[in-house]
Amino acid sequence: MRTLRILFAKELNATLTSPIGYTVAAVFLLVLGYTFSLTLFVTKIANLQYIFHQMYVLSILLVPVLTMRTFAEERRSETLELLLTAPVRELSVVLAKYAATLTLVIGIFALTLVYTVILDRYGEPDWGPIYAGYLALALHASLLVAVGLLMSSITESQVVAAALSIGAFLMLWFADSVSYLLRPPFDSFAINLSLIGHFKPMVSGSVFLSDIGYFVTASMLALFLTAWGLAQR
Amino acid sequence: MTISSIDAAPPDHAPARATDAPAISAVSVSKRYGSVTALDRLTLDIRRGEVFGLLGPNGSGKTTFMRLLAGYLLPSAGRLTVAGLDTVRDSLAVRRRIGYVPESAPLYRQMRVGEFLAFMARLRGLPERMVANAVERVVDQLALGAVVDKPTRALSRGYRQRAALAQALIHDPDILILDEPTNGLDPRQIIEMRQLIRSFAGRHTVLMSSHILSEVEKTSDRVAVLLNGRLLGVRAMADTPDLEGWFLSLT
Repeated sequence: MRTLRILFAKELNATLTSPIGYTVAAVFLLVLGYTFSLTLFVTKIANLQYIFHQMYVLSILLVPVLTMRTFAEERRSETLELLLTAPVRELSVVLAKYAATLTLVIGIFALTLVYTVILDRYGEPDWGPIYAGYLALALHASLLVAVGLLMSSITESQVVAAALSIGAFLMLWFADSVSYLLRPPFDSFAINLSLIGHFKPMVSGSVFLSDIGYFVTASMLALFLTAWGLAQR
Repeated sequence: MTISSIDAAPPDHAPARATDAPAISAVSVSKRYGSVTALDRLTLDIRRGEVFGLLGPNGSGKTTFMRLLAGYLLPSAGRLTVAGLDTVRDSLAVRRRIGYVPESAPLYRQMRVGEFLAFMARLRGLPERMVANAVERVVDQLALGAVVDKPTRALSRGYRQRAALAQALIHDPDILILDEPTNGLDPRQIIEMRQLIRSFAGRHTVLMSSHILSEVEKTSDRVAVLLNGRLLGVRAMADTPDLEGWFLSLT
């Protein structure tokens, strides 16, 4: 546990001292601020459903920018050799990077809570879908960060890591769109693999255990594969 | 010992605490990457307290052997033990006993030297109350006082190498593994590094690699020659007045 804490502190410090995190946060908030103002003035409805969908898309594009350096940079600068020759388990290294990056992403998401304050001040929002939406975003972020780490762990090029991550996210996003080409049971497998298929109901306020299970299982699988891959050297 | 006396005289080949029990033992160790064999059935014992030199050209398997020992790589075949502990089965225990400096002397660029050393001390399991003392000890030992508050990215090659060595010494390990420790250093820094390595003899078992004959000659108690992943021979430096001749006869 102490090792995990030490590694987490190091990762968080690296994240917060890098301009990348601030740039991503700035782009994210700029786009969302614009969308929020526009939808609020046009629809005059106190909900965040449209914003949540926008955050879903933006995070697919921006999380790879945060995860691309996690392992790729350590591999390129050979500091990974220092980490993995210290008395530290691979899983601790992976979990520390996961927790630090997820903290940053959720921190950026948390800045959008100001929209809920505005909605509450000037309208009567339905809080159920808002709570469920933030839960969906946290789970979505967990999956993206875990898969982003996996992609970063297999290359020493940050650009390749980011490209692989975006590719994987897009494939997960549109997995259900190829289902009509497949035979049973592969068609239902493709539908169940779909990222948006599990995100959409939650954002509408319908929280199913199966959707939570999808995000948790996929995150754990990606983290396990990352740790396993690091151990195969 | 002065710098000039180091250059003029051969090293003392009788380490204070050397015993015959091996600190490192390799039995028929191989490492393969697909069809490429980086290390081929290497069998070798390294005694406690000695400075052991691995000599060979680039690509001869020196770095692979060191990475296997440090736990960074897993052997494809054979058995490798450090202080009687298997490097695969008891990997964490082995890593606690080892200090390792990779060839490129990697450091975390966003950290200051003192911060980096404290991080490595914690990572290597030193209790919090001992971290500051350990950092102070290695900063003194490696004369890093002038750069302790500098970011590691601002260090010269010589200081980088020393900072990398300091992190390897921070937990006072039994065994030091130094991959090409004089690589990229200027002549004065090379002499200082040799002096440092010799000063470790007896207190630590040192395994160092080099592709430069004179480096190994001036620092090691024993030397092994590797070529294409194969061990060609092992000799005590005291029994090898003509290292160059011996090396050429093997290769």
